[in-house]
Amino acid sequence: MQAVDGVDLELFPGEIHALVGENGAGKSTLAAIAYGAVRPDEGTVTAAGVVGLVHQHFKLIERLRVWENVLLNREPRRGLTIDAAAARERVRALGEAYGLRVDPDAIVETLPVGIKQRVELLRELDREPAVLLLDEPTASLAPGEIASFFATVADLAARGTAILVVTHKLAEVVAYSARVTVMRAGAVVARHRTSDTSAEEIAREMVGGEVPALAARAERPVETLLEARGFCAVSGSSALIDAAFTVGAGEIVGVAGVEGNGQSALADALAGVVPFTGTLNLAGTPLRADEGPAGRLQRGVRVIPQDRRHEALVLDWNVRDNAVLGRQRVIPFARYDEAARELIARFDVRPPNPDAIAGMLSGGNQQKIVVGRALAGAPALVVAYQPTRGIDIGAAILVQSRLIEARNAGAGVLLISFELDEIFACADRILVLAQGRIAGTFTRATIDRGRIGSLMAGHP
Amino acid sequence: MTMRALLGGRTTRDLLVVVVLVFGVGSLAMLLAHVSPLDGFGALFDGAFGTREEVAETLVQTTNLLFPALGIAIAFRAGLFNIGAEGQLVLGGFAAGWLGAQIPLPAVLAVPMVLIAGTLAGGAWGAIPGFLRARFGANEVIATLMLNVIAVLLATYLVNGPLALPGSGASETPTLPHAAQLGDLVANSRLTWAFPIALVLAFALRWVLQRTVFGYELRAAGDAPEAAKRAGIDLGRTALVAMTLSGAMAGLGGATIVAGELHRFNTGLSPGYGFIAIAVALVGNLDPLWIVVAAFAFGVLQSGGIAMQAEAGVPRDVVSLVTGLVIIALAGRRVVATRRTT
Repeated sequence: MQAVDGVDLELFPGEIHALVGENGAGKSTLAAIAYGAVRPDEGTVTAAGVVGLVHQHFKLIERLRVWENVLLNREPRRGLTIDAAAARERVRALGEAYGLRVDPDAIVETLPVGIKQRVELLRELDREPAVLLLDEPTASLAPGEIASFFATVADLAARGTAILVVTHKLAEVVAYSARVTVMRAGAVVARHRTSDTSAEEIAREMVGGEVPALAARAERPVETLLEARGFCAVSGSSALIDAAFTVGAGEIVGVAGVEGNGQSALADALAGVVPFTGTLNLAGTPLRADEGPAGRLQRGVRVIPQDRRHEALVLDWNVRDNAVLGRQRVIPFARYDEAARELIARFDVRPPNPDAIAGMLSGGNQQKIVVGRALAGAPALVVAYQPTRGIDIGAAILVQSRLIEARNAGAGVLLISFELDEIFACADRILVLAQGRIAGTFTRATIDRGRIGSLMAGHP
Repeated sequence: MTMRALLGGRTTRDLLVVVVLVFGVGSLAMLLAHVSPLDGFGALFDGAFGTREEVAETLVQTTNLLFPALGIAIAFRAGLFNIGAEGQLVLGGFAAGWLGAQIPLPAVLAVPMVLIAGTLAGGAWGAIPGFLRARFGANEVIATLMLNVIAVLLATYLVNGPLALPGSGASETPTLPHAAQLGDLVANSRLTWAFPIALVLAFALRWVLQRTVFGYELRAAGDAPEAAKRAGIDLGRTALVAMTLSGAMAGLGGATIVAGELHRFNTGLSPGYGFIAIAVALVGNLDPLWIVVAAFAFGVLQSGGIAMQAEAGVPRDVVSLVTGLVIIALAGRRVVATRRTT
């Protein structure tokens, strides 16, 4: 398969260049080619110096110190040993010079995400790159951290580094880049000076047409559906501590927060995958800690898990059998095909073929199956954990619209997302989750971006 | 990757591997034994198909492999490596032989009783690792492997110790009354009603796996356990049920050997059917209908192997060698594929 086809891209010293496109448009492949990790079948890459790359998922050795990570394989030596004092000083000076202060002796695993990113950046900066590639650099940063991160990047650019930011967040493109290149289906479809364009125009170019509108939210009375008190749960390394909140029937409650702040524990405990302590009442009747996913499904609790490939789908199976998973005992076996065709029609699954193998579908179409079956048959409570992660804009709008429609029809929806924009677009109320605790609650009327951002970053 | 994708895979490459192994390695072994492969394979096919009785014996071997292979397939489809079919088959055979000789009944009751006894004993032996897996998360590979040894030793102890025949040195139960014996299908052969029973079982199993909610849930548990769990499927219960059914089929196979071929339980009733059946199940892609085809192919090797030794002087071990290589080639792919994905 061809991921990138006949693309020209020029980066200039002193400039932040944004590369945008939907999932699968070829941006990451292009960045990998520029870095030298992927060899192009045709064409050339030339750079006036070293090329550095900061990965979306940090490539740090968690058990090692900051300086050990930054200078890995480039350690200053004294005879046969590493000159730790010189190394420490070099990292300290480097941080000083770029305004990226980090304790060189800190163990990486003890650092918060924002600081880890600094370490990642310092490691590339020590190589004095002429070109720096940043792949989705703000994916795990709180809003405040994003602003300060881009301030650092702008400072780097001002010193003459050419910078490429690969991203899908258009607000950041507009706010921080000088030029933008838009990719779709492996080809460049537009280039702009950022000052000459807008987020709306870029979105249209990414999609290749008008961006569909989100479903309207109907005015409707809200009655308490789910009530949580002293709700604690642990799932892997994720922990939820002493949460108290409600979700109403006919209401979308957004859970804002940076990844790794208790979201998985929240979703898994509601799914019945992990036990919980405290009280959870659904429509006045307690959810039992030990009833498991089968019990939750019977109570009308449907969870859209974060990892659709492992937690939701059987990738080797066809769309028909995947479309009924979770309802396999509710729907008569003879009606599986009918149920699948209904879902395919309502969610515009492509190809519209119940016999297509789920693993062969695009991420967006896979997600439509997962969301479609969760919303089928009037669920009481829908827990949507990152329901639009890694899917294209058209599919994301469709998923969000169906969630809003479920709310309009009287379902309670708990929308757990790392994308603040998604929460602002869909939620009636917002809970902010930080370090496993609910740090604040907002209604649509009282939304305060700055305040939410600082709560997400863990500032009280 | 699911176990089915790793172990099965409906690729022509797999068939090619099997054919190359059987004929290539088989020929090589024959050349080492100073026999022309043409003569060797000629004797093998002649032994398997030469006469009416030999064809019947080929089908007997097919049947003996088919029961445990179907059982293995059900466990594998549920994501469980049941390699304990041999022990389950031996205990099934023992229960059938012992109970059949104890209780005199008319034929309408005696044959079903013997077969049900074997099914229950095999099922119970399969349930043990299923329970250990469901309750404690114990690895079923190790449990079933060890229970094989225990089953054979237990049966050996029983027929030589507490249940030993007075005045007989043989490790066996008394001869079954005629009423408890399965009827012959072909005169002067050991081919009995067990063969059609196995075929019906294959079709039934295929139907259950593909056309019932039970089969759907069992396959989900095997193909995507995390997704299955979140869909309300109890993985522990599925493991217990799948292992029980798996053992029951192998046990039924043991009972048909006793009731149809030997007419008594003998500790040597299986030349490793439960192990060869693993290769049969894998070559059959864990699909009951293809397993029938695979069981027939291995049945040819089994029955022809004896003739090959007698007529062409090729050691029968060549058949074991080829069978072993097929298992290694197909199961080894799992290791390779796992490495690639991690």
